[in-house]
Amino acid sequence: MSDATIEVLDLRKRFGRTLAVDGLSFRVEPGTVTGFVGPNGAGKSTTMRALLGLDAPDEGAALIGGRPYHALRTPLLEVGALLDAAALHPARRGRDHLRWLAHSHGLPAGRVDEVLQQVGMETAARRRAGGYSLGMRQRLGLAAALLGDPPVLLLDEPVNGLDPEGIQWMRTLLRTLAAEGRAVLVSSHLMSELEDTADHLVVIGRGRLIADTAVSDLLAAASGDRVRLRTDARTQAMELLTAQGATVAVTGRDTLTVTGLQARRIVELLNAADVPFAEVGAHRATLEEAYMELTRDAVEFTASAGIDEVAS
Amino acid sequence: MRWLHAEWTKLRTLPSTWWLLGSTVLLTVAVGAAAASSLTTGVCPSPDACHEDTVKLSLTGVWLGQATCLVLGVLSMGSEYGTGTVRTTLSAMPQRRRLLAAKAAVLALLTAATGAVAITAALWTAHLVLPVESPTLRATAGSVLILTLVALLGLALATLLRDTAAAATLGLGLLYVVPLLADLLGSPVWQHRLNRWTPMPAALSIQATRDLDRLPIAPWPGLGVLAAYAAGLLVAGGVAFGLRDA
Amino acid sequence: MTTPTRTPYRSRLHPARAGFGRLLHAEWTKFRTVRAWPVVLGVAVVAVVLVCRLGASGSSTSGGGPVTLGPGGERVVDVFRFTHRPLTGDGSVTVRVTGLRSADGKGIEPWAKAGVIVKQNLDEGSRYAAVVATPAHGIRMQWNFTHDTAGSASDIATTPHWLRLTRSGQHLTGYESADGRTWSKIEDVRLPGLPRTVQVGLLAATPAHNNVHRAFSGTSETYGGGTVTATYDRLALRGDSTATAWKSTDVGGPGPNGPAPNGPAPQDAQPGRTDVSPSGTYTLTGRGDIAPALDGPDMVQMSFQGVFVGVLFMVALGTLFVTGEYKRGLIRTTFTATPARLKVLAAKTTVIAAVTFTTGLLATAVGFSLAQRVLRHNGFAPPEFPDLSLLENPALRAVVGSAALLSLVAVLALGVAAVLRNSAGTIATVVALVILPQILSFAFPLPAAQWLLRVTPAAAFAIQQGVTRYPQVKVNCLPESGCYPLSPWNGFAVLAAYAAAALLLAAWRLRRRDA
Repeated sequence: MSDATIEVLDLRKRFGRTLAVDGLSFRVEPGTVTGFVGPNGAGKSTTMRALLGLDAPDEGAALIGGRPYHALRTPLLEVGALLDAAALHPARRGRDHLRWLAHSHGLPAGRVDEVLQQVGMETAARRRAGGYSLGMRQRLGLAAALLGDPPVLLLDEPVNGLDPEGIQWMRTLLRTLAAEGRAVLVSSHLMSELEDTADHLVVIGRGRLIADTAVSDLLAAASGDRVRLRTDARTQAMELLTAQGATVAVTGRDTLTVTGLQARRIVELLNAADVPFAEVGAHRATLEEAYMELTRDAVEFTASAGIDEVAS
Repeated sequence: MRWLHAEWTKLRTLPSTWWLLGSTVLLTVAVGAAAASSLTTGVCPSPDACHEDTVKLSLTGVWLGQATCLVLGVLSMGSEYGTGTVRTTLSAMPQRRRLLAAKAAVLALLTAATGAVAITAALWTAHLVLPVESPTLRATAGSVLILTLVALLGLALATLLRDTAAAATLGLGLLYVVPLLADLLGSPVWQHRLNRWTPMPAALSIQATRDLDRLPIAPWPGLGVLAAYAAGLLVAGGVAFGLRDA
Repeated sequence: MTTPTRTPYRSRLHPARAGFGRLLHAEWTKFRTVRAWPVVLGVAVVAVVLVCRLGASGSSTSGGGPVTLGPGGERVVDVFRFTHRPLTGDGSVTVRVTGLRSADGKGIEPWAKAGVIVKQNLDEGSRYAAVVATPAHGIRMQWNFTHDTAGSASDIATTPHWLRLTRSGQHLTGYESADGRTWSKIEDVRLPGLPRTVQVGLLAATPAHNNVHRAFSGTSETYGGGTVTATYDRLALRGDSTATAWKSTDVGGPGPNGPAPNGPAPQDAQPGRTDVSPSGTYTLTGRGDIAPALDGPDMVQMSFQGVFVGVLFMVALGTLFVTGEYKRGLIRTTFTATPARLKVLAAKTTVIAAVTFTTGLLATAVGFSLAQRVLRHNGFAPPEFPDLSLLENPALRAVVGSAALLSLVAVLALGVAAVLRNSAGTIATVVALVILPQILSFAFPLPAAQWLLRVTPAAAFAIQQGVTRYPQVKVNCLPESGCYPLSPWNGFAVLAAYAAAALLLAAWRLRRRDA
């Protein structure tokens, strides 16, 4: 078993009467960015806090490299975490915040400057944290997570408060970190934030696992084998394709969505029957669509049972 | 009126408010009862034969109750700075002095009501263990006013300092440490001065029901000293609140 | 799972062990990088020093009264009726005490004395050893003012009792007996510097009545010199004596054949009497005491008023060091870096204790020295108030103890803060615990006041007491004159117990796992 994994095994955590996490299991492999997605209150933060030993699981286990967090001798060298970027003393300089963390693990002073450079905070870190913008706090929080150069990263909503340029920077950084062989778990309540970043997705709702899938598989599943066809001869095309066993839906004045036939087969059929068409292409779902489809049931359930909604 | 309602909702929905008010009543009554029971009926067979000021004794709990009232006052403003709520508050109610006045009014009403309960309960409890003289209205109302004014003092300090810990420390220093130093001071002149012009010893003269001529300062002027501190700091806090960035 | 598993990342950083030393370093960095905290420490030092100095400048004494110093240099009372003969070389004196009663109709003092004494000479403050019977404390052997050993608990009001004192070189041995035949030894002591010829004989003495009634309306103190009459028979002196007759002297007082009193005689001083009956009964009437003098102001304690102000700063620091982390959720970062929460608590406690002790020590040492200078200037001069060295007890204990007190108050605040997790609540709780009992103790009836100063952390201020208290002297312990009912270290232990309890409670809360 490799060191750099995150494992959640049948995790259950209850706060009073509400079940925040209900039998959740998943595993994050090294070298991937795994998106941890779910609506607000789905249990993402609770899971992350359990992984970091901040909340004790009622049942099950949350393991880093096969061990519970409190068994780690040098946790900062094994896991980097960004939980709450606002968790800074306003009167302490950003640099000093990293220094006390470094001292707790006997890391060399130069390491602080390295991570500050990595997140682009060299100048701002000389100021007191009270005056930081949300984006600066996120960058400092990320620097703290990277301080021990850990093979596992747990980041709770890291792009929150970043400007578009910052979001782009964060995506590149996360991809680079994963490419180096690290296991990166990034939580978000917005699927669009994970587009082009995550390789893998763990989707949860109401504390339960909804999907644990590679992004490519999810998109393929959401796209299905649907083909988009643009043609002026709508009726002709519909008759022809239905006769071949396809299901055809009218999605526009000159567009049809065809299910049940490969795109290449459609082109052959249309050519053979001499039906004119402007374009044939595979329908590609966005991650957002795929997510909405996945969580539709969970969200509806949440809405109907909204009273005991869990704030995590 | 709307502002008062808003401030009332804010104060009422802080869980610490009810904890503090409850402790005020509890501590005032408990300490008063303990102080009263430290006198045996052998020393005090009847109110007339007793050479103690039994009313003042029963109200000893104010010494401790004022600490919780101070914290209540400090938190009513300090918690807004601590959590950054003050920016939301100010965008909803931009007239800062009116806001402070509304806060002060709600706080004063709430502590006065609680103080009345605490003082009445303390006198009644002490009455059970000791033949307490019927209390003068001045001692009773004065003690309620002390608790109210101390809460306002806390509000004023928190507004001036914008920090809960600093305001609580300074307030407690003013209430406790200054009188302590006054008691221990070797110089009688300074002792007299401090007992006259610092808020707590001066204000507590309102509780005296006998030997009034031996007090360092007369009862109502004594309470006036505390009121002057509270009002002065509140005005200073109001000015600073109006001038500073939130 | 379709994503390919890659080679896990290996860090270039060398694995470092997160030992406790590292944790201390981290917490120290946390402390010093919030600028306000070191500033508060600095302000605390200045405030403590200033208030110590100001507090001392309010105290003055006219001084110059008659002072008697004992062989150890301490202030003593050495006033009693003495019926004596010189004794040269070794020998012993034996007598049966048949009674000890008040001569003025008032109640008898528990520490009134009748018995035999061997004394260097007739001067006040000279060396002595005595075996005495007391009304409330049985038979005692006492020597050189500060020493006291209990014998049997015999009550001479009901039964006569035999006493004997033997001299052999520098050794003096006290014996007692119920029947004059079987003797039991009380104590054998060495009195270096005792001349070859000493005065031996009988004594009668009683301390003054001193009763305090205190209540809210004020303190009333009744003080009056009493007199006692002691009766003896079967007096026997063994050894060489140059005189054949017993003489009587009022040591330290006026009298026809006593030495010239040291300074003006007190107004109420009555000469003592000695009557000898033909049957060999000796009746001595006298007043005074042979004991350390404990009535003066405590020059050590008067120098530490600033510590009360220092307490405020320490409470604030101890509180903020913890609540500052809870307020912003920083505590989760701390526990992520160090999952062993109790170690974090221990590191925080160590850092705050060390920092506050060091600065506290600076403040109390400077404050004490300045206050001493001011007190000297205000008339507190030797020999009545001897010079106090900072490196010797009791000054050393008071200075170091006050710094430790400040440090423990900070630790107490830290513990309470980790339980309450709220700064205003913690500050109010700790200040009320440490400071309020003092104020209330000035006003409460004496038993209640002393109880408060025994069971609350305020008891720790006893560490500042410079006057050694002796069990053989009855003192009215008034809080407003700086007297604490507990001995210095016991009082200090009360605060330590509170701090330990707060830390245990904090540890228990931290171990419940959700942060």
